[in-house]
Amino acid sequence: MANLSSFFRKLGFRTKISLSIIAILLLFGIGLSLIISKWVSQALLNENRMRGISNSVNLSARVVEPLLSEDLLELKNLVDELSRTDKDVTYTFILDRAGKPLVHTFSGGFPIELIQANAVQQSEVYHIQLLSTGSELINDFAVPVLIGKARLGTVRIGMSHVRVQKVVREILWTIVLTIGIGILIVGFVSTALARTVTRKIQVLHHAAEEIIKGNLDVRTAPSLQSRCWETMSCNQRECPAYGDERGRCWYLVGTLCPTCVDGRYDKKIESCRHCEVYRSQAGDEIQDLAEFFDVMALTLKERLQALRQTEDHLKQQQRLFQTILDVTPDMVSLQDQELRYQAVNKAFCQFAGKREIEILGKTDTGIFSGAQAEENQRENREVLEQRHTLNVEKKVAGLDGDRWLHVVKTAVVSPEGQVSGVLGTIRDITELKNFQDRIIRSQRLESIGQLAAGIAHEINTPLGIILGYAQLSKEDVQPGTEIHESLSTIEKYARISRTIVADLLRFSRHTESVKKPLDVNQILHQVTGVVEHTYGLERITIVRDLQEALPLVFGDQEKLEQAFVNLLNNAHDAIGSDGRIQIGTTFDPVEKEVVIRVSDTGKGIPPEIRDRIFDPFFTTKGVGKGTGLGLSVTFGIVRDHGGRIDFETTYGGKDSADKTGTTFIIRFPAYKEEPT
Amino acid sequence: MWFLSLCSCSQEEQPVQVDLSKKAEVSVQKDSYIITYAYLPQYSHRVSYERHNPLIEYLKKETGLPIKQIFPDTFDEHMKMVGQGKLDISFSNPVAYVKMAHRYGTNAFARIVEEDGRAEFRGQIICRRDNIAIQTLEDCKGKRWIAVDPTSAGGYMYPLGHFYDHGIRKEDFAEIAFAPGPGGKQEKVALAVYAGKYDIGSVREGTLEVVSEKIDISEIRVLATSRWYPGWLYSARKDLDPAVVDKIRKALLALNGENAEHQKIFKAAHFTGILPSSDREYDSVRELLEKVGVDLNS
Repeated sequence: MANLSSFFRKLGFRTKISLSIIAILLLFGIGLSLIISKWVSQALLNENRMRGISNSVNLSARVVEPLLSEDLLELKNLVDELSRTDKDVTYTFILDRAGKPLVHTFSGGFPIELIQANAVQQSEVYHIQLLSTGSELINDFAVPVLIGKARLGTVRIGMSHVRVQKVVREILWTIVLTIGIGILIVGFVSTALARTVTRKIQVLHHAAEEIIKGNLDVRTAPSLQSRCWETMSCNQRECPAYGDERGRCWYLVGTLCPTCVDGRYDKKIESCRHCEVYRSQAGDEIQDLAEFFDVMALTLKERLQALRQTEDHLKQQQRLFQTILDVTPDMVSLQDQELRYQAVNKAFCQFAGKREIEILGKTDTGIFSGAQAEENQRENREVLEQRHTLNVEKKVAGLDGDRWLHVVKTAVVSPEGQVSGVLGTIRDITELKNFQDRIIRSQRLESIGQLAAGIAHEINTPLGIILGYAQLSKEDVQPGTEIHESLSTIEKYARISRTIVADLLRFSRHTESVKKPLDVNQILHQVTGVVEHTYGLERITIVRDLQEALPLVFGDQEKLEQAFVNLLNNAHDAIGSDGRIQIGTTFDPVEKEVVIRVSDTGKGIPPEIRDRIFDPFFTTKGVGKGTGLGLSVTFGIVRDHGGRIDFETTYGGKDSADKTGTTFIIRFPAYKEEPT
Repeated sequence: MWFLSLCSCSQEEQPVQVDLSKKAEVSVQKDSYIITYAYLPQYSHRVSYERHNPLIEYLKKETGLPIKQIFPDTFDEHMKMVGQGKLDISFSNPVAYVKMAHRYGTNAFARIVEEDGRAEFRGQIICRRDNIAIQTLEDCKGKRWIAVDPTSAGGYMYPLGHFYDHGIRKEDFAEIAFAPGPGGKQEKVALAVYAGKYDIGSVREGTLEVVSEKIDISEIRVLATSRWYPGWLYSARKDLDPAVVDKIRKALLALNGENAEHQKIFKAAHFTGILPSSDREYDSVRELLEKVGVDLNS
């Protein structure tokens, strides 16, 4: 039963209808057959009985005369005639008053069992007995032949049921045939009817599938038979229904018919029901459903479009916001009340050295090192509790050395006045700090330069006098004498002093310079050519890596040579012996600068003196070995040419010849053809 | 289909099994010795039976003889059976008797008293009451006449004698037809006239009362009535044992209208008494037959 129910449930709608109708017809047919066959059988058997009674009573009346006259021929004629005229009469015979057969319709003898098979009393009009011959049923009618009170004999007639059964069978077959044809016709008709219904349902089904697939542009209702604006003779082109070939005006909001009621479907449908357009267009329930379906899909489509537009707008906003956040070099973060990170930008991720997904949802403890995390937490709690803005500059250890950070932390206060988190903005101000340092250093050197220049200028004249008088006095004394020797010593140191003064003046730009476009590579070739041999004696090699077609630099050749010689000497001093000096030139097309790099394989610059190496008179060499003005002069020359000098250094032992100790990097602006 | 047939044809009544294959030839056996008695088939066999059966039962009881009523279909057959010796006691009209006596030598031995108390009877000439063309006997000329039988007394010979007495011969009629047999001939004449099949008819007096149940006899008009002639009589076959005849004659004459049992017999037979009779009482009939030219041998 459950299988059957499940089987029935899985059947198509059309098959269900057809099967149901056929089942009803079958049941009806079987019931009808049973009733009709029973009824007809009963009626025919009754008729058979009535006819049998009539036949036998009639015959009993007709045989009186021939029985009296013992006219056997007439009797025989009478019984034969009855058998001949009534097809149901199987046999007829007449018994005399002694119960012996006088005449009968049997051929080849009389079946003697029949005599006793039925008997009728004189008091009875007739007696009927059902007989079975094995092959058929027979109603045997016995009627006494009476004359007055005397009984002349008995008339016996056998009426067969065969014809009744045959008629019943024929009727049954007719019913079965009729029902069969009925089932066929009803089957066809119901299939055709069901098809019209199921076709509409299938259209709805396909439309539903399309909607599930995302295609909301479906139409399930049939095309309009007539157009509302033609029916109503309307010319209002601004009406939403005007020109809509498939939509139903009663579903549309804001239609302009004078009979239309303002409002949505539920409000206007009542007035629409009386409208001629509705009456001429409205269909059955399935069409209603299809029309509702269309309206639903249309509404859904409009809502989805609006939703998509909003979504697109939101996405665009989000992208803009994210772009601003990501592009800004500042590290921006938002933490909630529990100080868990809710949002961070790219700069923050880079600073923390983690990916965004590793940061979100975590507190500082999970992101930064112990001390820093603790400090952040403390600051954040303070901001949360005191609702103030923290604004500090601090130095933290980054992945690539110490960094200066400008930290601004603000409490985020909701419109309800609740503190919902902390917005952190951290700006890396290391560069700014360095720049500030350099400006301070330059100002210091400037002051020193001005001081030294003043001193040098004052000393230069006395030195000239000392040198002049020493040379003059030397001419007056005999060479080889003690005085001559002393004068020579005075002359020598006076010359050294004058060189120092000249250097001081060069440092403070107090010397004349002649600038012209120069090829830096050529200058470097000349300079290295001069020192190469000398350095080679101490197994220091010079490697040149000069970029060809290097732009020219506008400068003073002599001063540039001086600057490069100073750097080479510095490198030589740093190496001592057994090393390599690498000289390279490149062009930085972005900054439009010519870059000169001078690297040594020395032991590098200790961190504690890195800030002071460009200071005048600062030297690491022993007393009398250097004036401490080499790098100061070079710094002054470079600055004089509008360039910059910087260095990279690795402090430590000299492990191998390939190891770079210190690299000085000089950048000169490239010369432009047009004079600026 | 089988199921339906079974359902629809089932019977509550259980049939009796008979074997129609057990057959035997049957033959009608004749009684060995009987005295046969017949009523000239003036009416149907049933009427003949009903009228005479109580009388026969009485005779059987009184005489102890095996008397059996037989039913010849026609007057001719009745007379022939007398001639053939198949009919012993004949109850017939005087015309038939005169013929039988002439041909076969039968002897009259008793005659009956009619219900009106007379030992005679007469014939009637009838027509439809609305037949205005027939008002007198003369009007019957050229008309179609239906009579009971050529041997019928009241139904043919007596009226024919009446016509002869009034100068009307057989040839004067357009047609003389006789009622078809066997039996019921008197009624058939009345019915034929009633139905308008014939213009006039001839029946014995009393017939109209007999058919009054079947037709409306007020539609029938009695045009004329013949003179009285002797009534019905019993005659015995020439060769019948006179002892037997005597026994029967005595039994018949012994019937008494006062006796309640005998009254029933008379009532059934439509007599009121039985009188002794002899052949010469029928000479008037012989004269009649001679007058109308009946050949007694034919």
